[in-house]
Amino acid sequence: MSTIVSARGLTKKYGDFTAVDGIDFEIQEGECFGFLGPNGAGKTTTVRMIHCVSPVTAGTLTVDGSAAGVDNRALKKKTGVIPQEITLDIDLTVYENLLVFARFFDIPKREAKARIAELLKFVELETRRDSKIDQLSTGMKRRLLVARALLNKPRIIIADEPTTGLDPQARHLIWQRLRQLKAQGVTLILTTQYMEEAQQLCDRLVVMHQGKILKAGDPRGLIESEIGKDVVEIRMPPDRDEELLARLGPLACGHERVGDTLYFYCRDGIGLWKALVDLDLPNTVHRPATLEDVFLKLTGRSLIE
Amino acid sequence: MNLSYRIYHVFFRNLMSYKRFILTTFLVSLVQPLFYLITFGVGMGAYMGAFGGKPYLYFLVPGVLISSVMMSSTFECLYGTFVKIVHEHLYDSLIATPVSAEDAVAGDIAWASFRGLVSGILMLAVAGLMGILPVSVLSVLVLLLVMLAVGIMFASLGMIVTSKAPNFDFFSYYTELVITPMLFFSGVFFPLSNFPGWMKTLSQFLPLTHAVAISRAAFSGEYPPSILLNIAVVVGLGALAFVVGIRMMKKRLIK
Repeated sequence: MSTIVSARGLTKKYGDFTAVDGIDFEIQEGECFGFLGPNGAGKTTTVRMIHCVSPVTAGTLTVDGSAAGVDNRALKKKTGVIPQEITLDIDLTVYENLLVFARFFDIPKREAKARIAELLKFVELETRRDSKIDQLSTGMKRRLLVARALLNKPRIIIADEPTTGLDPQARHLIWQRLRQLKAQGVTLILTTQYMEEAQQLCDRLVVMHQGKILKAGDPRGLIESEIGKDVVEIRMPPDRDEELLARLGPLACGHERVGDTLYFYCRDGIGLWKALVDLDLPNTVHRPATLEDVFLKLTGRSLIE
Repeated sequence: MNLSYRIYHVFFRNLMSYKRFILTTFLVSLVQPLFYLITFGVGMGAYMGAFGGKPYLYFLVPGVLISSVMMSSTFECLYGTFVKIVHEHLYDSLIATPVSAEDAVAGDIAWASFRGLVSGILMLAVAGLMGILPVSVLSVLVLLLVMLAVGIMFASLGMIVTSKAPNFDFFSYYTELVITPMLFFSGVFFPLSNFPGWMKTLSQFLPLTHAVAISRAAFSGEYPPSILLNIAVVVGLGALAFVVGIRMMKKRLIK
């Protein structure tokens, strides 16, 4: 596998505000690479620089061998973007949306027509070909955005929070399609706040916070190194914490008190769970550790707005 | 300036979306100038007698014609473009394709001047039905060129305003304080020669004055020497506004 995107000291400033603060990463051809982070972490800004709609303030950013920049039409030609906001052309029908977009990529009309038929099938919108955009559900609009991003047969697909606001059915359909594309060898760059989405799709990911990369790795590896295998949650007020920590602390590799819940992180939770059964407490949960635990541990539990 | 043939792709997109509004906009483009022609031309013209040897309508038509070009192209680049940027996010998806920000803005300017041209042609047809015709076929061709140039100028000026507009209300400053007063100080309805000195001076600074002068000359086929200044202003200001408008819009679009 070869490197398709590489960033060194990548920085983006808006006036005095630093949105992306000197980050380094490398994306391999054919993988799914995720940018995770809370609102305002700099994920979208980073991918906007990758698909050449936002200029780089400092550092280097190379995409498929050439420097990324606003005027780089060649790079835009091989990139497909599934935007965060629904940017469909509401004056046009489903079919016209795709037809007009195909022109922007200089796809000849006959080829465009065949490609559109194929893509409408791919996203299961064949029956909505002549609908107007405001007659579509949010899920259909998102699927149309996926189809639109594929018109130019991109080698790199950038999906910026592609399933925001979708019901589970629609979300799973989009995931299916993205995995299908990956299987065809397309490089997928994903930003998301949904940990399940990252776990479902990403081979490797970085966790971003306040413009910086906090951690990088594969989802399983990150969970194991940051949290362990299991999480035990005890929901009760903090007045018995001392006693619980004395008895259970040695069995876990870490703990954390957040509001009404005491968390224990364990390499192997069985021992702790047995001890807990003996204590006979109400309101306890024993579950496998997830990416969400990693995310919250790294980016903090306070609200980020 | 990163311009390319893709301007036409943007123009094509506008043409495709236009078919939904075509009837409404045709009617709107017709009604307002028709009011002017009927109230001023027919109504007032009856009291004004001959204007340089011809009925008042001959004086009025070339001016109203060019002001309808101004109105259409201006409004398209104010409200039309603003909606595409802020409400429809159309520009966001455009600049993610090989279409550059410059192509996108120039495509919209081309579209707005086309809209201006259509309004102008409709006016010309109405005037023709009322028996007010340009002096020759050549005159008609020159008029079409003039309408196109004037359309590009006002569309580009509109882009400059839109590049700084935070909301729709902002456009009222421009339309109410610049565009509408210009109608009355540019010799559309009355010859400038009757204006007091300060108004004559002021009118020389209004682009519409020069546009009307060219239109009137083309209509009558009589070109006074001052036409060169008029042409220089329309072409010069048009080119300047085109470049500045695109630059300022790019600043708004690329962040």
